[in-house]
Amino acid sequence: MLRYIVRRVFESIPTLLLIVTIAFALLHLAPGGPFSADKAMLPEIQHGIEARYHLDEPLWRQYLRYLGDLAHGDLGPSFQYRNTSVNQIIANGFPIDLTVGLCAIALALLVGIPIGLNAAWRHHSWWDRVPMALAVAGISLPVFVIAPLLVLVFAVQLHWLPAGDWVRGSISHLLLPVLALALPYIAYIARIVRGSALEVLGTAYIRTARAKGLPAHRILLYHTLRPSLAAVVSFLGPTAAGIVTISIVVETVFGLPGIGRFFVTGALNRDYTLVLGITILYGALIIFFNLLADLCYAWIDPRVRLE
Amino acid sequence: MNSPWRQRLHGHLGLLIAGSVLMLIALASLIIPALSPYDYYTPQLELISRPPMLSGGHLLGTDPLGRDLLIRVLWGCRISLLIALLASLISVVVGVLWGAIAGYAGGYTDALMMRTVDVLYSVPFVPFVIVLTMLFGRQLWLMFIAIGAVSWLDIARIVRGEALSLKRREFIDAARVSGVHGARMIGRHIVPNLLGVVIIYATLTVPTVILFEAFMSFLGLGVRVPLASLGSLIADGASDMQAHPHLLLVPAAVLASIIYCFNFLGDGLRDLLDPRKHS
Amino acid sequence: MRLAGASGLVTGFLATLAACNQQAPTAAPSISVGTALAPIQSLARTLDDAPRSLDPQLTTDIPSQRVLDDLFEGLATLSIDGHAVPGAAVSWQQSPDGLTWVFHLRPEARWSNGAPLTAEDFVYSWRREVDPRTGAGYAQALSPILNALDIALGHKPPDTLGVAATDAHTLTVHLNAPTPYLLELLVQNYLYPVYRPAIERYGDDWVRPEHLVSNGAFALQEDLIGARITLRPNPYYWDASHVRLQSVVYFNMPDRAQAVLRFLAGDVQFTDSFAASQRPWLKRVLGDQVVNAPWLGIYMLGFNFRMPPFRDNPALRRALILAIDRASLTRYVKYDMYVPADTLMPPLVGYQPQHPAWAGLGAPAREALARRLYAEAGYSPKHPLRVDISTSVQGADERHYFEAVAAMWHSVLGAEVSVDESEYKVMSQNRELHRLPLFLDSWIGDFADPINFLQLFYADSSLNYGGYRNARFDALLDRAAQQPDNSERYRLLEQAEALLNEDGVYIPLYYYSTRHLVKPYIKGWHSNLMDRNLSRYMFVLEHQGR
Repeated sequence: MLRYIVRRVFESIPTLLLIVTIAFALLHLAPGGPFSADKAMLPEIQHGIEARYHLDEPLWRQYLRYLGDLAHGDLGPSFQYRNTSVNQIIANGFPIDLTVGLCAIALALLVGIPIGLNAAWRHHSWWDRVPMALAVAGISLPVFVIAPLLVLVFAVQLHWLPAGDWVRGSISHLLLPVLALALPYIAYIARIVRGSALEVLGTAYIRTARAKGLPAHRILLYHTLRPSLAAVVSFLGPTAAGIVTISIVVETVFGLPGIGRFFVTGALNRDYTLVLGITILYGALIIFFNLLADLCYAWIDPRVRLE
Repeated sequence: MNSPWRQRLHGHLGLLIAGSVLMLIALASLIIPALSPYDYYTPQLELISRPPMLSGGHLLGTDPLGRDLLIRVLWGCRISLLIALLASLISVVVGVLWGAIAGYAGGYTDALMMRTVDVLYSVPFVPFVIVLTMLFGRQLWLMFIAIGAVSWLDIARIVRGEALSLKRREFIDAARVSGVHGARMIGRHIVPNLLGVVIIYATLTVPTVILFEAFMSFLGLGVRVPLASLGSLIADGASDMQAHPHLLLVPAAVLASIIYCFNFLGDGLRDLLDPRKHS
Repeated sequence: MRLAGASGLVTGFLATLAACNQQAPTAAPSISVGTALAPIQSLARTLDDAPRSLDPQLTTDIPSQRVLDDLFEGLATLSIDGHAVPGAAVSWQQSPDGLTWVFHLRPEARWSNGAPLTAEDFVYSWRREVDPRTGAGYAQALSPILNALDIALGHKPPDTLGVAATDAHTLTVHLNAPTPYLLELLVQNYLYPVYRPAIERYGDDWVRPEHLVSNGAFALQEDLIGARITLRPNPYYWDASHVRLQSVVYFNMPDRAQAVLRFLAGDVQFTDSFAASQRPWLKRVLGDQVVNAPWLGIYMLGFNFRMPPFRDNPALRRALILAIDRASLTRYVKYDMYVPADTLMPPLVGYQPQHPAWAGLGAPAREALARRLYAEAGYSPKHPLRVDISTSVQGADERHYFEAVAAMWHSVLGAEVSVDESEYKVMSQNRELHRLPLFLDSWIGDFADPINFLQLFYADSSLNYGGYRNARFDALLDRAAQQPDNSERYRLLEQAEALLNEDGVYIPLYYYSTRHLVKPYIKGWHSNLMDRNLSRYMFVLEHQGR
């Protein structure tokens, strides 16, 4: 197991390198630069700044320079926010995304899995139809509709919860963003678990066990849960990274100073270093969660051998 | 306990209803605009953002430029359905093949293919779309490619996971022993057994695709005005939620219905196609 | 809250006492006795975007300007009505020829760490602005000052800038030409002083809360990048006794709908903008808390003079200008939030509006004239004009606006116009490279003087996106630059603007308005043309609820 993990970590380095290279190329392909179109900045001054940030050098040299800095852990200065480094922006924003994201994942699992199992167990009953109908609603309404609705109801009308902002250690500020983020995933997970559980419950093995009177919780927990988890794990693996970097919408609506928003505005403003930095973080997270997912697979399904 | 008879019928009934509703929506989006006196692009400034007036005139109200909302939404359906179906088709075909091959082949092939997926997954999609737009202009088919290119990755991952489990199963060993290999194995035995999962994910891809398109419209990279997709109509309506709720509710309701139907369709097809049910 | 009645009286009384005891005149409003102030004087405002930087010389965006206006103070500062009044400088004189100004700094002026503010600080800061190595965002702002432009272009060293510290509290400024609007220029954030020891010691990090030293009414307490900025009062500020707020927080809220929700919830009391489509509903729900006042800016479309179809075709340009019903557009698509514009300059005291001849025409006459000009230009329904309006992505409202403009051109002229929305950087770059025949253009005045608008069409200006060249126009501007005061100067500039209108150089659409939601218990602010409301004057009345 340990050897497998170490091998995967080593394998991830060329992957990350490739990610950086592709992202670098794409960013520079897009027209415009970080300092073009700045309100009437004199061309001479624009060239001056670009020289200071080495943007006038040939691309391959800029690329190598970036890699060199990267090796020292320096993600470079932000071009949009001229007195702030990318390291600072990520260090400030990422823990927030991480907190909200992990809570959302936990909530989605804690709520989604039981709902899905229950729906599968009571297939075709109201326990199945109603939650599944609600789940579809959760999937089909965009986050930029649900999130403001939550604020409207819980903060503005009922005054139960704050409308936004981030206060360290405050749970009430955490609730709405986590809920808004988790809702669609509760729906996805419930559906996936239900689908997978239905397949398991339909097998002859289980039907026999049920006929023999094996209690429900035993069947569900010991026999159905594990294979369903496999499906959940394969879904969550890649999406966890996305959840944790939070959707830009949730950040915007709740005024959370996370990095998702910086990613999009960075791309639109050609803040190369910021976008590259977040991309690397994103890539590392995906690799990490994929590794976690594969390890979970091995634990869940003993037939899968880690190669 | 439901008898297998009722289960079958229920599954088929859901399939029929869902399919019919989708057909209805698709037909409506094609026929009604041709019959209506209103078009989707001419503003009528005196009639902006009227709420639905059920007695004649604009059945579902008007949009912020006074255009009939029903017609706009139906056009939006056309565009969204087109984008969703084509992009999903691309995603599914590419994703299934990729994942099945990777999962079955194992070893270095698997590692290489899945690392490629990892890499592609981390590519920042916004600059990617901007570059595409720059190179090819704002075309509709560009949407398909951009969205399709991003959506096949999930399916590939999941299919590969399932293929990994599948290939250890007894019937695969049996098939191998009887001389089935490679492409035939994948085509005959792996893929059909994946179909249940694939269909669920395909139906889950459709809303994702529509919403991704909405996000692109939100960033201004979606369909060109005056065309609208359901996604862009919802994005516009969401910003006006308190003042004119119908601008959000109408396209959101239509979108929800379409997605509902795709899911019912998915469930029904799964019941039909799941090979284990036949045993 | 219940005790506030009595303590409010006392506070009001003390404030009046303090006002009576002041030495130097202050621009702060006095509060009458009996006004009940809230026990907690804290204000939460919003910004439309994260400030790019808190370095006064580097930034040109409005969010940065808002925060900088509270942190720093220039030689002149803004009064509550938006006029330039004594700030760090208590008085000044200009030489008879208008080329030399002498500023006398307040001897009691200090930085937020107690160090004295000297004339040398201004010399250092202004040199820094024009020094190409700084990479300032808008170095041309100092162009009236001797050698400023040469330095910015790299032709001369920074120490040749026409500014000198005659002694610790006297600053001498040498100009290229008489500049009647110099005081308005001095309130730009680019001319705020910065604290040299912090910059030399900490480099780019000098704007962090633990290092930043400011000379304005407030100091920086906290800066959560992208989230919020918290300010606390600067105890060394010369007018600190009149600063009532104990805390100012600027929240970053790019989502305008969200800003409205937070306002309704009472989390913020002074927002920075809201969408036009929300205006009728907001007016119904919030009444007077919805503020729209004139803002010195114009929204327009520009013609490209370097390529067909608009090059050498004044009839076509004028046809397009005439065929738009601006009143209907601002009424229906912008919900009366803005004012329709028929000429470049928004209303300005002392300046004669240059309404073009067609401004008085009724719609039928105007449209008939437009059709005639269109035909004269060589177009007809059989051979329609086909062109794109190139804009950037701004939001649903703006998109609808241009769709409506295109529809008007279609119904009046039969022109086939579509809206090409691109991502901002793409559109900007194409615009700078003169690739767009018809493009979005807008301008918010840096200071209240017509030259700031007219210079957009000066021959080689980097803001002249259309590439318009008219020697007569340039000559008028050059002559105006030599005038010592505004009497003749304004007449010349008016002629220049009239020339632009005759030539159909741009399509005016509407003038900007400020857009704020302000709680009724926030006082100490007035709407002004530059839309700059310094927190320094504001205070919170006692109030119930949110």
